[in-house]
Amino acid sequence: MRKIKILTIILAIVLVTMVAFWGIYVPTQNRMENKVEGYSYAMDLKGSRNIRLKVDDSSKTIIKDKEGKEVENSQNLTEEEIAEKGYTKEEIPYNTQEVKKEENYKQVKKIIEQRLKQMGVNNYIIKLDGQAGDIVVEIPENATTDAIVSNLGTTGKFEIIDSQTNEVLMDNKDIQLANVMYGSDSSTTTQSGTMVYLNIEFTKEGTKKLEDISNQYRKTENSEGVKNTDNTENTENTEETQNTETTEKKITMKIDDQEIMSTSFDETLKTGKLQLSIGSSTTDTTTLQGYVAQATNMAIVLDNGKMPVKYQIQENKYIASDITSDELQMVVYIMIGIIAISFILLMIKYRFMGILGAISYIGFTALFLLLIRYANVSLSIEGILGIAIILILNNLFINQLFGKLKKHKIDERIVKNKVKETYQEFFIKIVPICIAVIIFCFMQWEPISSFGMVMFWGIALMAIYHFIITNNLLKIKASK
Amino acid sequence: MKQIMKKQKIGIAIILVIILVGIAITLTVGFNFDLRWEATQKIELYLAKEFAISDIKQIVQQVIPNQAIRIQKVEVYEDTVSILAKEITEEQKQEIVTKINETYGTQLSAENIPMTSIPHTRGRDLVKPYILPFTIVTVIILGYMAVRYRKLGAVKIVSKVAIISILAQAVLFSILAITRIPVGRLTIPMVILVYLFILMVLTTQYEKQLKAKKEENK
Repeated sequence: MRKIKILTIILAIVLVTMVAFWGIYVPTQNRMENKVEGYSYAMDLKGSRNIRLKVDDSSKTIIKDKEGKEVENSQNLTEEEIAEKGYTKEEIPYNTQEVKKEENYKQVKKIIEQRLKQMGVNNYIIKLDGQAGDIVVEIPENATTDAIVSNLGTTGKFEIIDSQTNEVLMDNKDIQLANVMYGSDSSTTTQSGTMVYLNIEFTKEGTKKLEDISNQYRKTENSEGVKNTDNTENTENTEETQNTETTEKKITMKIDDQEIMSTSFDETLKTGKLQLSIGSSTTDTTTLQGYVAQATNMAIVLDNGKMPVKYQIQENKYIASDITSDELQMVVYIMIGIIAISFILLMIKYRFMGILGAISYIGFTALFLLLIRYANVSLSIEGILGIAIILILNNLFINQLFGKLKKHKIDERIVKNKVKETYQEFFIKIVPICIAVIIFCFMQWEPISSFGMVMFWGIALMAIYHFIITNNLLKIKASK
Repeated sequence: MKQIMKKQKIGIAIILVIILVGIAITLTVGFNFDLRWEATQKIELYLAKEFAISDIKQIVQQVIPNQAIRIQKVEVYEDTVSILAKEITEEQKQEIVTKINETYGTQLSAENIPMTSIPHTRGRDLVKPYILPFTIVTVIILGYMAVRYRKLGAVKIVSKVAIISILAQAVLFSILAITRIPVGRLTIPMVILVYLFILMVLTTQYEKQLKAKKEENK
């Protein structure tokens, strides 16, 4: 009976080990596919997206009138028309020599870093060439990478201008913060959906400006003898013979010189907050996520201020890690070698108990490697270190337990007491490590969180596994 | 007892010498940073076929001997190679291209392959993301130790743990500076390893002392 129990546990361990190291292969579309989850690798092992941002040396052409004022909507003007009207063309560089200085490049680097943090990028490298201003950014390659890249080259220039005169009414300096808000849309009677808003909050000075602007650029209605006039702009009320004329001065909101909207205000805004609806009201989750992503990107760009230098993305490539699979395999072989030596020592020192210890150790390693994969832990170099430390701790635990048992002629009571004693002594010793591990788990920096997560699952598994497997193996061995 | 004291003194003296030499080298020569963090020059070659990194490495090492190099595959099709070295001259670029053309039957022209400069990463940028986690962890662990080992003298324990942890890291970085081991992707794992090892050793030591003290009180 004793032998059967031990054999059952050993067979279970062999099974788990085979699943962990070889996998479960199932025929799928004329090929064998491993159904066991693969490892998820962090940037240092998987590779990264490399983005090179270069100081924009190009110029824009502007057309000025006789008085030297910039002519609006001049794109459609022909050379003859320009000459006829006495306009002049001017090439204005996006970045003047005055802005091309190290101080500004550093400011851009800081803004990029803040944007990356807000976009939830948990591992990045930013390199700055202080002389030329070139910035090289390395970020992890995943589903959000393209959206992140599109945000890096954006200058973040925000302007509210008079639609007619182009006078800048408000700019980045007036923004205190920008974020995303949600609200249910009650305007439709048939189906209520969720609206996504880009919420811009202005500084004290900005609030005053916004109040003045919203007052000045309000929709005004000029009507004569009006009876039952409709409030909608450009509407003629046919029931009465009255005409309603809506005259409005409009503002244009621009981000990075791209027109976002052109509008006038319904009422005076005194709160210093401006909510812009992004997309339309929807109940579709995918569409909503798209709107949220769009609004979030805009909010992040606005929230971190305007880059003093305009950049353009010169290079955007995925570059694989220089740590090859051969090198990783080498690490695995070294680890296996060390473990094998520890098994031999264990077996020499504790004989049959040592063999049980080695089998238990193999089962633990297999389960641990499966757990890492299913817990979706991103493996970085620090994570691999975590695996090595867990294997060392596991070895220490087994040695400590067996060392205690070796001194006695073991029976079930002794096993129970010594297991309890080892648990108390061992885990009290690693309390500081546990504290570090738990804190590392919550850090928003992938290398450190990878280490924390690997260690966390390892320690948790160690506590449960030895109580169930090693404890039972020893009890069965001790039973008569 | 005298022997132990003497050994301890020798140990402390060695540690201090290592730290002082390490500081001197760091201030004068600086650390030997890994190529990943150094300012480098890069060329990218489109081979239009799969290749082994080890083969390219061999070619590049023949042309640029005794220099650290970094070979990486570019994009998902892995048919482009990125070669990084601290310095690549035009002649070396030409030679690399020629050798790669010979090996892979490509017809690349060195004139059409631009060489780009990649700036270095500042040391403080590398360290910055780790300062907050380690500070929080250290403060909480010191608090735990002060409570757990209060019978051994909270202030003494806290100061000892703090000093030993700092000294251990100082020794590690001094050794890196003296031996010119590149500061790179293995440095932070080394820092973590030393940090946890010191904590484990000190905790084991204090647990023993606490146990002895409890038995003494009985």
